[in-house]
Amino acid sequence: MNLSPDQTVIWNAWGFPINATIFYTWIVMALLTIASILFTRNLRPDVPPNRWRTTLEVIVQGVQSQIAEVAGRSERHLLYYAGTLFLFVATSNLLLVIPGFEPPTASLSTTTALALSVLIAVPLFGISSRGLGGYLKTYLEPSFIMLPFNIISEFSRGISLAIRLYGNIMSGAVIAAILLGVAPFFFPVVMDVLGLLTGLIQAYIFAILATVYISSATASPSMPKKESQ
Amino acid sequence: MSIDWITVAAQIANFLVLVWLLKRFLYRPILDGIDARETEIKERMQKAVHAREQAEETERAYHEKVQALNVAQSEMTETIRKTAEKQRDVLLAEAQQKLEREHASWQTHLDAEARKYINRMHSAGAGALLSLTRKALGDLSDETLEARMARHLIKKIKPMAPDLRRAAGQASVAIVTSHEALPAPVEEELTSELRNLFPQISLQFETDTNQAPGLVLRVGGAQLAWTVDSYIDGLDALIEEQLAAGSDNRVQSHER
Repeated sequence: MNLSPDQTVIWNAWGFPINATIFYTWIVMALLTIASILFTRNLRPDVPPNRWRTTLEVIVQGVQSQIAEVAGRSERHLLYYAGTLFLFVATSNLLLVIPGFEPPTASLSTTTALALSVLIAVPLFGISSRGLGGYLKTYLEPSFIMLPFNIISEFSRGISLAIRLYGNIMSGAVIAAILLGVAPFFFPVVMDVLGLLTGLIQAYIFAILATVYISSATASPSMPKKESQ
Repeated sequence: MSIDWITVAAQIANFLVLVWLLKRFLYRPILDGIDARETEIKERMQKAVHAREQAEETERAYHEKVQALNVAQSEMTETIRKTAEKQRDVLLAEAQQKLEREHASWQTHLDAEARKYINRMHSAGAGALLSLTRKALGDLSDETLEARMARHLIKKIKPMAPDLRRAAGQASVAIVTSHEALPAPVEEELTSELRNLFPQISLQFETDTNQAPGLVLRVGGAQLAWTVDSYIDGLDALIEEQLAAGSDNRVQSHER
């Protein structure tokens, strides 16, 4: 039994093994892109909004309002990044119900990649917002003694993100596989339904945490901090 | 559980590509659409605000016009009232003048009628007086009134002869006018007597029905009348006196 889709090679392209993680990631990407193109192809200001457009606007504005609520302000770049994180993870997790589909998020490589991207995005957003000196100065706050702890804190965030997502998705898939062997007619359905719920929650938590990390790096010192709920 | 770092690198690249794709095909069209709609709504609201301001301005202008029209209407009404009053005064004055003219005309007509009536009364009185006198003279002395008047005229003229000659001047004709034609013996007697007094003046006899009964002698610029006018005037005065006394009596009886 392969616990990770990384070990399943679909085919070799020019000597480069394309495993299931990458393959299903492309499927998710293609699905999201095609759906986006289909939904937004007739999106013109002179055309009255239809149901699809209204639904998309509600989703995008919902994501935007969530980001604004967490970050205290609405930034387009943060929306692109965190929204894509949410849509990718949510779509990957929701496609778990399709038989034979292995969600890319069940691979530690994918979650690590996403966590690394968050790790890279945090300083990039911080530098673009505060400037290089301003961002580096946050590592010395409240005093320079905290520098190693701040560095450890940054890395531990990424690792916790990666492990959290991977653990939840992979455990759900593994438990479903085990229960399929024990009681093939009842438990898999319940676990799949539960997996849909936890998948959406994980996508939401992953995107929110990424937003929180990035916004904490980009928040200006004069900005009042929002109370955590 | 292992991490395939090639897969990690590929997934990072995939994720970045997905971010670009979704930004290109999902977020930007939707956000641009939302922005465009917000801009359109903002423009419409601005237009609405502008239209409202214009409407308020138009309303203000309308109210000002209405106010101006009301003022103009009041002024016009006042002007019309004054003009009407002036016109009324003019019409009243014209009516008053017309009434006065008609009253004056009526008064003139009344006076003329009164004069005619008085003339008729004179004629009737004179006629009555004359016929009575003629009848009295005929019954009492067997003599005509005309002959008696002619003799009396001759008697009156004789003392006035020098004055009449001076008044006659170079006149060669004397005219005797009577209400009715004089009898031939009376004319002959008058002619012979006046020829003795005025030998160079010839005598003519004429009749004038408008003249009071009696004789009028005109010679040159002088005129000598011997008519019953004074008697008629005396008769009028007597009648008026009697009428006034009668009306006083009636008023007194009414007062009682």
